[in-house]
Amino acid sequence: MNYIWHILVMISIYAVLAASLNLVAGYTGLLSLCHAAFYGIGAYATTLLMMQMGLGFFPAMALAVPLTALLSLLIAIPSLRLRGDYFVLATLGFQIIVFSLLYNCVRLTRGPYGIPGIPIPSLFGVPVDTVFKYFLFSTTISTGALAILWLLIRSPFGRLLRAVRDDEVAAAALGKNVPAVKTMAFALGAGLAAIPGAMFAGYMRYIDPTSFTVGETIFILSAVVIGGAGSFWGPLVGSAFLVALPEALRLIQIPDAVAANLRQVTYGLLLVVLMRIRPRGIMGEYEFK
Amino acid sequence: MLIQLLANGLVNGCLYALVAIGFALIYNTTKIFHVAHGAIYTVGAYICYFFMVEKGWPLAVAVGIAVGCSGLLGALVEAWIYAPLARRGAPLLVSLLSSLGLYVALVNVIAMFFGNQTRVLWPGVQRTYSIVGVTLTRPQFWQVAAAAIIVPGLVLFLKFTNWGRIIRAVRDNPTLAMVMGINQESVRLWVFVVGSAVTALASILVALDVGVDPNVGMPMLLTAAVALIVGGVGTFEGPVVGGFILGVLQGLVVWEISARWMDAVTFGVLIVFLLFRPWGLAGRRRRIEETLE
Repeated sequence: MNYIWHILVMISIYAVLAASLNLVAGYTGLLSLCHAAFYGIGAYATTLLMMQMGLGFFPAMALAVPLTALLSLLIAIPSLRLRGDYFVLATLGFQIIVFSLLYNCVRLTRGPYGIPGIPIPSLFGVPVDTVFKYFLFSTTISTGALAILWLLIRSPFGRLLRAVRDDEVAAAALGKNVPAVKTMAFALGAGLAAIPGAMFAGYMRYIDPTSFTVGETIFILSAVVIGGAGSFWGPLVGSAFLVALPEALRLIQIPDAVAANLRQVTYGLLLVVLMRIRPRGIMGEYEFK
Repeated sequence: MLIQLLANGLVNGCLYALVAIGFALIYNTTKIFHVAHGAIYTVGAYICYFFMVEKGWPLAVAVGIAVGCSGLLGALVEAWIYAPLARRGAPLLVSLLSSLGLYVALVNVIAMFFGNQTRVLWPGVQRTYSIVGVTLTRPQFWQVAAAAIIVPGLVLFLKFTNWGRIIRAVRDNPTLAMVMGINQESVRLWVFVVGSAVTALASILVALDVGVDPNVGMPMLLTAAVALIVGGVGTFEGPVVGGFILGVLQGLVVWEISARWMDAVTFGVLIVFLLFRPWGLAGRRRRIEETLE
């Protein structure tokens, strides 16, 4: 039974992660390839605040979110002036630099050794110490995060994002400050990505840089694109599908060593096929241009 | 020590120049950000490994087959994936996303068959040569030789032959080229064949020196893309210059700081260039109206 709760915990983490990238990529049309960097910054910030400053899980997470949003401005401000491929490559560059920092700043992050023994999060003094409890815990947090996102998207600000995505010039002509809107969307998406980072750190109780690589970024983006960018439910469907996929492969008795690769082959090919026949994704409303 | 590191940087620069000119050939002509180029880089070395080590065929034959197969693979990618998207008029970011998917799929197919560990193509200690205090291995000499022949050859070919002119015509204005009776699809196909073959040769020469693992493609592809931007998008000599600059710079980083910071420095250079000189060293500054199609 724990096995099913484990899968559901992972889905609840990836759902928020994909949804926060969707805010940037799907609603604002910025194909960003550094989301795993923000996920990682969120995880490391929460962990370090808990372990070095002795904060609880929630205060640490509450500080990690604005911190990640602030750090995202480092790449947002220069790269949002760029278009298309250049923006993609600049964000990819940021992803690689952040990974390199997590890996090499040994004094702060312990580099490749990772950080073990992250304290168990507790809620009203009750430790969340079983997989089932963590499932309830993480589902509550992710429902909260998704609710915030839902309100954000339905608000006038959400409409403004879609306007900027669909016709930048028209939005500017209506007196909207396009660069400011894009920057804000990017920082909000990054800040939201810190929440799954904290959830991941609290669940695994061990983090190392290999969870926040370029491959992870591509995985998150695939969840968004396969599910459907620019739709609220799309990334949730996409992440549930991509997280559950390897478990399905396990059921048809493929050895574990091959299953990990087969999972990636499957979603890689799925991305190729989908771009050919349905570039909007399963639930999609928006096609990248 | 500094001289040795600089020499290594120059040798790496030769490799970056080879991969970057292959990437530039494709990117400049088709405008597709061909991430799967990194996968073709990986596949090339593995095909060579398969025939050389597992089948025991002679080196030259294995290299020939690997380069040929990689060229063919490049052509198939264009024919089956990019060309249908281009015919439909799909946005370039859609091509980029399917290229990302293809990269993930190809690399993991390789990992499924050959495992994730590093494979050695040429076991044993390589013969080394020393000239004026610089020691290079035999594969490193071949790397320099291959770059010295192929890179100027390609640049001159693109500049002075009729085929080169056709490729540049498609690069500058595909629609106008089509109106002039140039078969754009066949030009694109050949560009993919040549670009992929050159890249595969570079990866084989690296693999002969230090072996190969399934993840070598991505860092190489990114370095090539950065070399193209630093040198100047749209040009064919730019990426060569960019490749050498990155190679030497990385050599200096190893000397001054540490090898662990090489990637960060490469992308630091990229971000500086994107901010202050996005048209690159050899490129021409374009007005914004020219870049919007």
